Amino acid sequence: MASTLRPYLTCIRNTLDAAMCLQNFPCQEVERHNKPEVELKSSPELLLNPVLICRNESEKCLIETSINSLRISLKVKQADELENILTKKFLRFLSMRAEAFQVLRRKPVQGYDISFLITNYHCEEMQKHKLIDFIVQFMEDIDKEISELKMSVNTRGRLVATEFLKQFI
Amino acid sequence: MACIERASPALNQILLKLYSAEKPVEIDHHLYEFGSAEYHILCQACEPRVAYLSISTPPLCPGNLTSNKLSSYTIEMIKRLCPGVVEIAEARREGYQLTLRLNLTKIPRGNDYVKVIKEISTVHSVILSSQLKEILWNFNSDDAIKGMHKPIKLAYNPREPFFVIRQPPRIITVFPIRFAEKSDVIISTAFFQELVDVGSSDRYAKAPPCSWSAIPPPELIGEAFEDLSTNGGFVSFDISAHHVDGKRLDKTVWNLLNFNAYVRFHVKTTKGFIQRRMRKRLENLVEVLHHTESEHDNEQITRHYGCSCTKRLSVKSSKYNILKQRWGNLGRKLKRIHFRVKIRGFGRFRQRWLRLPKFSSSRGYTKLD
Repeated sequence: MASTLRPYLTCIRNTLDAAMCLQNFPCQEVERHNKPEVELKSSPELLLNPVLICRNESEKCLIETSINSLRISLKVKQADELENILTKKFLRFLSMRAEAFQVLRRKPVQGYDISFLITNYHCEEMQKHKLIDFIVQFMEDIDKEISELKMSVNTRGRLVATEFLKQFI
Repeated sequence: MACIERASPALNQILLKLYSAEKPVEIDHHLYEFGSAEYHILCQACEPRVAYLSISTPPLCPGNLTSNKLSSYTIEMIKRLCPGVVEIAEARREGYQLTLRLNLTKIPRGNDYVKVIKEISTVHSVILSSQLKEILWNFNSDDAIKGMHKPIKLAYNPREPFFVIRQPPRIITVFPIRFAEKSDVIISTAFFQELVDVGSSDRYAKAPPCSWSAIPPPELIGEAFEDLSTNGGFVSFDISAHHVDGKRLDKTVWNLLNFNAYVRFHVKTTKGFIQRRMRKRLENLVEVLHHTESEHDNEQITRHYGCSCTKRLSVKSSKYNILKQRWGNLGRKLKRIHFRVKIRGFGRFRQRWLRLPKFSSSRGYTKLD
């Protein structure tokens, strides 16, 4: 399992490195407006081909690029129902606080668990390679956090069960 | 948690207030509590040290028409509650199953009065426990030997009934589990799996064996559909004679009555734990991003820890160092010069003013080239 993680993350990193070449581009349709073209998708000439990187059936990453913005959507692995609800709760918690992350999208793209939207302004304020490091680190941290949460919930359940049964002895 | 504690917190508080009152107090309270228990407390000014406590509780076994009246065993157990203080009134209040006369003057002075009042407040749990004890006590009776398999539906909380099935040499208690939210169902299912796992270990061999199944157990065949439709499955405990012997009967009875409440409390606290942990993780993740932002300036910013109350941020610059060095050299030369003419106050001037001025303030700022 761990053997496929490194190549998966490396592939994402390299793709982001190539895709994160963003520049300021005012909206072609509305004067004095500047919108992330990857969200609007109104001008096909401004969009690049989306890249889908799959680790397995349940884990994948969709990278959609345009001239001034980049959208990264992640699907996190969920082995059982408990991981499913923990992932949903945690990622929804983060999405609701998207302003703290700046590059996080409030609502994930349909079919995915979480989405990032990076614009040229973010690239100007932050360093490109650090942003990519953050995204990759975020993916690792999410997996790790979900696993730890699951283990903690099971450990708590075990302790509570032990205390309940002790009363009968 | 009120539904797991034996003593009713509200009743306990009112009785304590009544006992501690310096002046005669008139009280006429109606209380409604978990498990559909209803209390009425009456204290009149003409009899300040006497209180009348009326209790009404739905029968533990709803199908039994005669169970509205309290059995002789239950009455006997209530009489054992603080015999000098509590008496069963001959005429019970209308709408209640039982009225107790509490003689507050007979409550001992000192610190023991808290314990006595707490014991009086457990009257509801005594009624329920004695009813369930009678059901389990009959485990050793002739009825059990004849092998009565029909499930008995018991309802501590009207929305959470559970079943007791007598199958010699054991009694099976089955708890249908229902939750409103799917996430609660999943957390409780994980808990039940741990419960079954721990119960099957050697260390807890003396505890009643428990099992969980998503479908109704075969013992409940024939029961009403609304009782068997659940989303959390069914938890079963096998109670043997060992678990109802002597003092263990009381504990077993109380644990079974409060099993549903225990599970709900665990689910609630687990959700709180998950929320706290997510908040903490959020702070860590955001910190990483802010760290990414602050490195954008591409400057070497070093921190100097000066005196304990101030920290200075100074920027390394070659021009600054050279200037400092030259000024330092000049200052040292001036200090070494032996003046033939002594000027009063010049020494202090030399010490105070022939120094390199400090450009960084004590509050700290970052100087950029």
